[in-house]
Amino acid sequence: MIYIKILNFILIVTFIFSFNSNALEYKLYGLVQPEFSIFTNGDGKHHQSKNNYSFFTKGNFISYLDERDAKITISAIARYDEKDSERRYIDFQKLKYEQYFENYTFKIGNEIIFWGVNESFNIIDIINQSNLAEDMTGTKKLGQPLLSLAYDNNYGTIDLHLMPYFIERKFPSKNGRPRLALEVDQNSITYESSAKEQNLDFALRYSMVYDDYDIGIAHFHGNNRAPQLNINPSTLKFNPHYTILSQTSLDIQATKGAWLYKLEALSAKDGNERHLGVAGGFEYTFYGIRDSQSDLGLVIEYSFDDRNSYPFNNDSVAALRWTKNDINSTSLLAGMFIDMRGNSNRFIAEYEQRINNNIKLFIDATFNGSIDSQDFTYAFEEDSVFSIKLARYF
Amino acid sequence: MYKFLLILFFVISVNTNLLSEDNFEKGLRIAKESYESTRGYIDSESDQLMILVDPKGNEVIREISGKTLENDDPNDGDKSIIFFNKPKDVEGTVMLSHTHVNDDDDQWLYLPALGRVKRISSSNKSGSFMGSEIAFEDFSGNDYRKYEWEFIGEEEYEGETCYKLVSIPKYKNSGYTKRIGFTDKLLRPRMIEYFDRKGELLKTLYFEDYQLYNDKIWNADTFRVVNHQNKNKTIYKWVNRELNVGINKKDFEKSSLLRLAD
Repeated sequence: MIYIKILNFILIVTFIFSFNSNALEYKLYGLVQPEFSIFTNGDGKHHQSKNNYSFFTKGNFISYLDERDAKITISAIARYDEKDSERRYIDFQKLKYEQYFENYTFKIGNEIIFWGVNESFNIIDIINQSNLAEDMTGTKKLGQPLLSLAYDNNYGTIDLHLMPYFIERKFPSKNGRPRLALEVDQNSITYESSAKEQNLDFALRYSMVYDDYDIGIAHFHGNNRAPQLNINPSTLKFNPHYTILSQTSLDIQATKGAWLYKLEALSAKDGNERHLGVAGGFEYTFYGIRDSQSDLGLVIEYSFDDRNSYPFNNDSVAALRWTKNDINSTSLLAGMFIDMRGNSNRFIAEYEQRINNNIKLFIDATFNGSIDSQDFTYAFEEDSVFSIKLARYF
Repeated sequence: MYKFLLILFFVISVNTNLLSEDNFEKGLRIAKESYESTRGYIDSESDQLMILVDPKGNEVIREISGKTLENDDPNDGDKSIIFFNKPKDVEGTVMLSHTHVNDDDDQWLYLPALGRVKRISSSNKSGSFMGSEIAFEDFSGNDYRKYEWEFIGEEEYEGETCYKLVSIPKYKNSGYTKRIGFTDKLLRPRMIEYFDRKGELLKTLYFEDYQLYNDKIWNADTFRVVNHQNKNKTIYKWVNRELNVGINKKDFEKSSLLRLAD
């Protein structure tokens, strides 16, 4: 497999450089995190269990070479999950070698690259595959193997990414909670591209800062990260089919004092059909509320897509973020997702605070309100959950 | 003879200027000279250690390292990058700031967990820096362009005769209504009292451990802040500080954040 070859190549390069440099300059840090979840609606729609424990870990190794003109980064995550076998995995989020020249950066290996400006509806973010077993909203990503060249000057930055190997989307297994209505059959994957997972995907992005505006224009061509899920009548499972996607996108953020205005837009050809998506909104922060050090931020975003099948085609989110700005960095995020087409809604809350210099506590809650039976989230209507996570950093 | 007259004329006119100087002009002149005595550092690199002490005496440590680039533009502020090391949960986070004198700064944050660079709102220069008693705006508190100044006399401070200066922020989002400080005869700020938006005494900043860098620039290597309202203390120390190290100017652009981040 090309993917394994690339990883091996980087590891070999890493070791050659490590032994050549007399005093290896490096950093090593990470975290271990036990997690516990309690579901409040009893057994799930698919007879999953009422509670679950899980264990997550992340390690980062960064080494500078060649008088800081080159860098090796290894950032790996791993999880063990009591119930969901798809949540037992290791992923190299970053496993890369970078070389810096005056105006150029060359990079090879696994990388996480984010495109966009929105808080919730990251519609243009396309380089990395989503790990839905980790999180159904798709914000958790898997490392993407790539070769990159970046060029920057006073007018902005141009990034070119070549992606020789495709990473399939991860879905929860049948014991996962939440999970889709049917199991996803990862052994029955089909591709529009005849090269399948070895299709050479590419992406080009131009980004710049102009005064209060951060602007990006991008184009992606390759395997769509989101597969079509077709029901196989004989197995009653979803068979993923990856089409070829050609997506052109624009993202803009205007930063005007305490106001942030955000917009992401795309036009894409997916298989034979063209679609349009627009998502954006604003963020406003009230600083030092009631003469305290606390800040209160308000985020409102809306997402439109002209496909009926797209989950966020007429959806909005409204959230409040309270940050106490105390020694423990206490914060609380509370938000409401509303599907304006089917009248579905979902409430989330995320609390966090540091216990000491090395330990941080996270408490998350998701409550599903009324969910339309036509909505894809109907499958996890009964998966309202409290989770508690305790991260120990090293 | 002609030369002598010219010099005499010059000396007299300068003296007359000084004599006719009112307390506002004198305050501004001292503040300007104090600020200018810290300029010409070109760029700097340092590790910074912060000790936060609560009223019960419990201590928490913060560690960051930073780079600063002097801006020659007389109407604009310096640029800085901060690398967060401790507490451990923010390790790998990087913040880039392009400061402006009497306007909001431009700030970008690199968030390692998301691999994302975010432009953030910076209209909160009065906010706490990492839970400490120091606000963002305090780091550039010696920039005379940010305040209206008044000289209100000379007083003994720690056995030295100092200028006593009142400064009123021009920046509309400042957290202060007034500052009263002592600046010594070497033009070094020694102590500043801060008054909050209600006009009440908020905190005192003591400038300690002055070191002469590169034979010309005095920098206080310790800021000690005592908050009189919540009784917290912050001790902020610069260690391994070096000036004029020859940092690439490009490091201070948004496009370099991903390069400099872990």
